[in-house]
Amino acid sequence: MTLLLQGLALGVLTGGLYALLASGLSLYFGVMRVVMVAHPAFLFLAAYLTYTAHTAFGVDPFLALPVTVPLFFALGVAVQRLLVARLAPDNLAMMSVLLTFGLALTIEGLLGTFYTGSYRSVSMDYATRSLTVGGVHLPYDKIIAFSVAALTLAVLFAVLVKSRFGRALRATIQHREAARLVGIPTERVAGYGFGVGLATAAVGGAVLALITPFFPASHWVWIGKLMAVIVVGGLGSVVGAALAAVLLGVVEGVVLVTVDATWATMMFYVFLFLTLLVRPQGFFGGRLAHRF
Amino acid sequence: MTRLHKGLAIISLCALGLTACAKTDEPGVAQSPGQQQGAVRIGISLPLTGDFSEPGKGIQEGYQVWADRVNAKGGLLGRKVELIFRDDASDPNRVSSDYESLITQDKVDLVFGPFSSRLVIPAAKVAESYDMLFVEPAGAAAEVFEQGFTRLFYAAPAIADDHYNYLADYLVKLPADQRPKTAAYASLDDPFAQGTAYGLRDKLAAAGIKTVVDEVYPPETTDFAPIAAKIAAAKPDVVVGGTQFEDAVGLVRALQELKVQPKLAAFSTGPTLPEFPDAVKDAAEHIVSPVGWSAVADFPGNQEMVARYREMFGSEPHEDAANGYTVGQIVEAAVNAVQCVDPSPTCQDKLTDHLRQGTFQTVVGPLSFDEKGRPEQAHMIQQYVGGKVEIVLPEQAGTTGLVYPKQAW
Repeated sequence: MTLLLQGLALGVLTGGLYALLASGLSLYFGVMRVVMVAHPAFLFLAAYLTYTAHTAFGVDPFLALPVTVPLFFALGVAVQRLLVARLAPDNLAMMSVLLTFGLALTIEGLLGTFYTGSYRSVSMDYATRSLTVGGVHLPYDKIIAFSVAALTLAVLFAVLVKSRFGRALRATIQHREAARLVGIPTERVAGYGFGVGLATAAVGGAVLALITPFFPASHWVWIGKLMAVIVVGGLGSVVGAALAAVLLGVVEGVVLVTVDATWATMMFYVFLFLTLLVRPQGFFGGRLAHRF
Repeated sequence: MTRLHKGLAIISLCALGLTACAKTDEPGVAQSPGQQQGAVRIGISLPLTGDFSEPGKGIQEGYQVWADRVNAKGGLLGRKVELIFRDDASDPNRVSSDYESLITQDKVDLVFGPFSSRLVIPAAKVAESYDMLFVEPAGAAAEVFEQGFTRLFYAAPAIADDHYNYLADYLVKLPADQRPKTAAYASLDDPFAQGTAYGLRDKLAAAGIKTVVDEVYPPETTDFAPIAAKIAAAKPDVVVGGTQFEDAVGLVRALQELKVQPKLAAFSTGPTLPEFPDAVKDAAEHIVSPVGWSAVADFPGNQEMVARYREMFGSEPHEDAANGYTVGQIVEAAVNAVQCVDPSPTCQDKLTDHLRQGTFQTVVGPLSFDEKGRPEQAHMIQQYVGGKVEIVLPEQAGTTGLVYPKQAW
């Protein structure tokens, strides 16, 4: 029973991390119908930058965020304006897979050149301790990851719902032509939307650096998982992706402690198939997402 | 009628293919006496990019150090050694075509093996089909030796299943009141990593040490906390990880977080990398691992290799380089013994026969092989003691005693 509770608790915390890592992906798809295969590569680029800040200045991984977040926002705008915006709109989804696949390879190659292929890690003392509540251990690094995810998603959600930019972005997501008709500069908004997506990668990368060692090719294992999260959640829906992430995190954790790790990993793809069979627009996407 | 035509076409194509093969094959044999005067050309494909690029480069350095030493001493049978490297990008298809072209186009005199069981098997198939001797530095998985290869030899002390033999002996021989009673195993779904963990599991289980957890996780596993939770619930005396690097670090961190305190923690591969203590800090203390080579060991030629490596690459040598160097040492000994080095089946046969019966002095210790090319020795066991890597088993090679039970992490 304790083991089941432990699996459940770990699942919720890990789900929070998945939500953070996948939020950017769902934004790109919503804004531009771009399938961003390079998102995990950018996550690890951020992890490497965090590592550099940590080793060179001895700062906590999260203190690098004031630098990396704006940097990644600018990078995102640049990628959208200089590369993605030039793709032919009629087969954007397909071409964007190729383009971003190339980006992922480029980032991996550059990381390999600058940091070599050996493993890097950021290990903080607090990252190996845990809080014990009623026999269930809650690791601090996972609590931190969950809190950072919750905070980032709350900010993202507030921006999308409350701000003028958020309304323009949502209008662009919902109907680009109509948005243009009411005077929204959709090109610029799309660029900023992409920037916001990459800014979440900066935060996600800092968290990843804290919890796992990494090398330039580490990003490949994350693509499948994160894609499954956003499809189950409903493509383009940030809230849907967050809920799906927690759901899949819990399923993974519980299956792992009750069955085994191979089945736990397979659950992502089982849910992906179920979603495509039963509700292709995603379980939480609803009206907004079914256009995609 | 059309069917007949098609059949004929296929037959003639096949015949063409066969003659083509025969043609490329023959000159290789015919030309070899003519090449005697030039350098001894050794063909090698290695994963210099892709998944295995780090160990691939390590092996390459080992080969280069060996060639450098041989050439400094006048070469192989008086001929200079020239290494021809190909990059297979860690791709099993590329590795086959690399060896194919090294043997048929470049007409090399010898081939050396690539890195990792996954690439060794396709590479050895090609070498075997051209009757070439195939000594390899890194294909330790059991499958490698079950393919029916007759010219393959693994130039390291032990296959995966035997890596922990010294540790198993040590634990089994402990007095009953100190002996661990339960053990938990978690292993990556990979033939080599699993082989190491299961070799130890089977020996301990046979001695009555109960297996309480036996988990296998796929390579894409990123979260080790739930696996550690299962281990925590079983409270084992011994934790064994059939691991590579990321998962070794992930498991150690997760076991700490879930407050698992075993008396002994053993992890394959991960802890032998210099990055390991940086990643887990003080938790590295008293972790044991099997290790095939040690820079401080006194085996013939080891100190010479260490010195030459430092001189050539300006850094400390590592196990991959030592394994590459070992391949060179073994082939060199065979060539000197049978006095021939060319790609003709007669010469390759002589070399193969010599390898099968002899014992070879190498930087990883004396090596001999069974009829399937498996080495017949065992790995040493290393342990972090006082923050330093020490060899603890076997006792005669050890730099210090094994610390058991380990301190809390």
